[in-house]
Amino acid sequence: MPGKNGVLLRELEARGVSRRDFIKYCGTIAAMLGLDLSAAPQIAEALDNASALKPVIWLEAGSCSGCTESTAQSDNPDIATIVLDILSVNYTETIMAAAGYAAEQAKDDTIAKGGYLLVYEGSVMTGWGGDALVIAGRKGIDELVTAAKGAEAIIAVGSCAVDGGWVAAAPNPAGAMGVGPYLASVGINKPLINLPTCPVNPVWVVSVIVDYLLLGKVPALDEYDRPKSIYGQTIHDNCPRRGHFENGEFVREFGSEEAALGYCLYAMGCKGPTTFTDCPVVRWNHKQSWCVEAGAPCIGCGGFDWVDNNAPFADRLHNLPIGTGVQPAVLGWAAGGIVAAGLVVHGIGMKAAGRTGRVGVPTEEIKEYDRKHGAKGGDK
Amino acid sequence: MVRTVIDPVTRIEGHLRVELEVENNLVTDAWVSGTLFRGMELVMKDRAPADAFFVTQRICGVCPVSHGHTSSMATEAAFNVTIPNNARIIRNLVEGAQFLHSHILWFYNLAALDWVDVSQALKADIAQTYALAEQVGTSTADFKAVQDQLKKLVAGGQLSIFTNAWFGNTAYSAKMPPEFALIATAHYLEALRYQSEASTVCAIIGGKMPHIMSSIPGGTTFVPTDDNLSRILFRLKAIRDWVAATMIPDVIALAPFYPEATTYGQGVGKFMAYGVFDRESMKPIDRYLPMGIITSGLNVADVDETKILEYVDRSFYEPYPEGADKGINPTQGITQPMAPKYDTTTPGGRYTWSKAPRYDSQPIEVGGLARVLVAYLRGVPEIKTLVDSTLAKLGVAGKPEVLISTLGRTAARPLEALYVGNLMIDQVNELIASLKGGDSKFFQPYDDAQGAGVGMWEAPRGALLHATNVSGHKIQNYQCIVPSTWNVSPRDADGKVHGPMEQALIGNPCTDLKQPLEALRTIHSFDPCIACAVHVMDAKDGTENTIWTGPAMGVL
Repeated sequence: MPGKNGVLLRELEARGVSRRDFIKYCGTIAAMLGLDLSAAPQIAEALDNASALKPVIWLEAGSCSGCTESTAQSDNPDIATIVLDILSVNYTETIMAAAGYAAEQAKDDTIAKGGYLLVYEGSVMTGWGGDALVIAGRKGIDELVTAAKGAEAIIAVGSCAVDGGWVAAAPNPAGAMGVGPYLASVGINKPLINLPTCPVNPVWVVSVIVDYLLLGKVPALDEYDRPKSIYGQTIHDNCPRRGHFENGEFVREFGSEEAALGYCLYAMGCKGPTTFTDCPVVRWNHKQSWCVEAGAPCIGCGGFDWVDNNAPFADRLHNLPIGTGVQPAVLGWAAGGIVAAGLVVHGIGMKAAGRTGRVGVPTEEIKEYDRKHGAKGGDK
Repeated sequence: MVRTVIDPVTRIEGHLRVELEVENNLVTDAWVSGTLFRGMELVMKDRAPADAFFVTQRICGVCPVSHGHTSSMATEAAFNVTIPNNARIIRNLVEGAQFLHSHILWFYNLAALDWVDVSQALKADIAQTYALAEQVGTSTADFKAVQDQLKKLVAGGQLSIFTNAWFGNTAYSAKMPPEFALIATAHYLEALRYQSEASTVCAIIGGKMPHIMSSIPGGTTFVPTDDNLSRILFRLKAIRDWVAATMIPDVIALAPFYPEATTYGQGVGKFMAYGVFDRESMKPIDRYLPMGIITSGLNVADVDETKILEYVDRSFYEPYPEGADKGINPTQGITQPMAPKYDTTTPGGRYTWSKAPRYDSQPIEVGGLARVLVAYLRGVPEIKTLVDSTLAKLGVAGKPEVLISTLGRTAARPLEALYVGNLMIDQVNELIASLKGGDSKFFQPYDDAQGAGVGMWEAPRGALLHATNVSGHKIQNYQCIVPSTWNVSPRDADGKVHGPMEQALIGNPCTDLKQPLEALRTIHSFDPCIACAVHVMDAKDGTENTIWTGPAMGVL
């Protein structure tokens, strides 16, 4: 079932990606789109038959280039396939061949032609009237407005582009903010897809782009413009260490026997219960690992205002004790309330992401472990 | 006398602008500007000491591991913590994997496009390409498929990341056959794969990459298993073998096409490395790549960190209370940003967000070349062998000073990549031996109430320093001097002494004002961590006569 053109498949094979790998990848895409796996061959054919490459402008603003770096870690398709066979990435400061005026010209030409996707990485820098970031003599904020006006859709990759990320953490020295709130403030309304975490997971970037190429529209989004399929559940919901949580088996010191046994990191400050991403499912870097598998508690980089809301990272969720019989659904809601207060301040708007509606969902009232340890004054 | 500007400088991390003054086809002066301010140091104030490990990694998505390690070292120094031996080896491994990632990505995917005109690969004869690869001893690939890929791009009229490249510029070597361009292009694509394999090693240890999770102050959260050790070891072997079979021969084959590139880009001729990859002693002087400073000729000395002072006379920061011309040691550092107004025409004007660190009042170059030179002069045997054999192959045996140039700076990092690849395989074996010996300690608890400490380490692009000052369990002051701050630092207040990259640009050929390719090579040789365009202005009457670099005329 290679398409009539078969170009993509031939190119992939030339690069060592077998037809089987490609169909398997299309299966992943199907799953991400919430389609049946049997849709994989159709997806493969649609991709293979695509004649023109979709133009992309990838802007970096108050960024560390970590989201470009992360996207370069995509495996199937790899980054070469993405930039040569699926997209025409006409402007991307970190890897484009052109420099200086020639680079800016490539961007201006793409904007003039229209029909492109805008990917935005890094915070929108509003400090000193926008002078906190100047590229080719133009303010970063003006570049955003120009590119956003002509874009079919905008993908805000990484927490910095979504809400300012760490750059907007107190005292927010350079007036950093997210793409959505900034564009709203200047009256620009474009389809926006928010992909928070620090950095962005390449699987999400690729799936959202392929989704858009196939269906010509943005995926189903939640009220914060995040794809529902990615941000619909907490890390805690899908964590492979969840069983240890249920059993009351916790790591209480790094390097301990419990750490070596892979026990739950909740007592070490894990923000999995209040962080909505599918990291435990898609994992990172060719699916080889993810934060918790490295023995580290989630620091909640996929949450909103993640630094101010989650630091100190080693503190248990807002110091709510876990030895009192309080269950995670309630914890998630309680912390969510605090998060909500922060979000209103930053203009994103918040109706507690799903978790609020689930307050009171019955769970066991108290775990056996907690009952035992609660008598001793909790887990610490 | 005219000026030309590269803004944005692409294929780097971040936002960089370079302005050049050109006379008789030679660069006579240069202004290097960082054009973004975020304010990490201010964000760290009042936070928990250990959180700096997580947050300061976000300074840079290319070298987060180095920031994380330097931060943890500063925190550990503040609280007198010595990390367990296993944690030392594991940190070496994740750092080394990041070095491999960074060197591969930088050499092939960022820097090489200044040396190889990819459009020439379209003209290559496939059979001759295989013959040439064999002749120069580099690895082969499916050259036809790569050429077909390029042809398809050109036929489709959408050039993606090659849009408006400076291909066709006369500063590309006329002697380089199209077949070599095709080999290099094939390896450019392979490099995209191997940089990712190296990053995957970081992720197996650190959970994800960029921005790892494991090297927290006190040790590491990563506990090795048979499974993840084998996934690490065999990836490292594959990467090391590729570096040896592809990257090293490519560098040696490329150099003879650009003999003139050893005659420019010398810079300030002073080098410093803090050292990287700890041995059991945990002493910087003992590191596998040791600490040292070179301030005159090729003589190495010990680093005295009290001699490091930062100045802000030409940067967008408020003058220090002690006086505008006074420098401050980073342990006492102050970051007070002001509204930026770029001024490269008035004597004493401010033109960058980069501060100006100086050692004993002198600008110093840091980076791969500095590390290799210090290790060479300190007599690290593997580095001596690598450098000497490479110099011999290039017909300049016994002349390490040729490394001090744009070409030499570019070649030093691939050599270092091979050294690091071998070292990392040794480190896996050392870790396995330690675990077999029964050592199961990975973390040392500590009290974080009070203390001040400095961490000095290396990022792939050079010497990195973090300083933390804690009281009441909270950070009171946090300062970083990142490698590129040394390299892209502005000139002194009186304008007599330039920053290292500015100095390296002075004397560069500039045959095409619209596409100053030689200057771009010199800029990329430093792998600056910041991004720019080229416009020209008439310096005589100071009017800005914006002649930007024109659109590329190349085939691609």
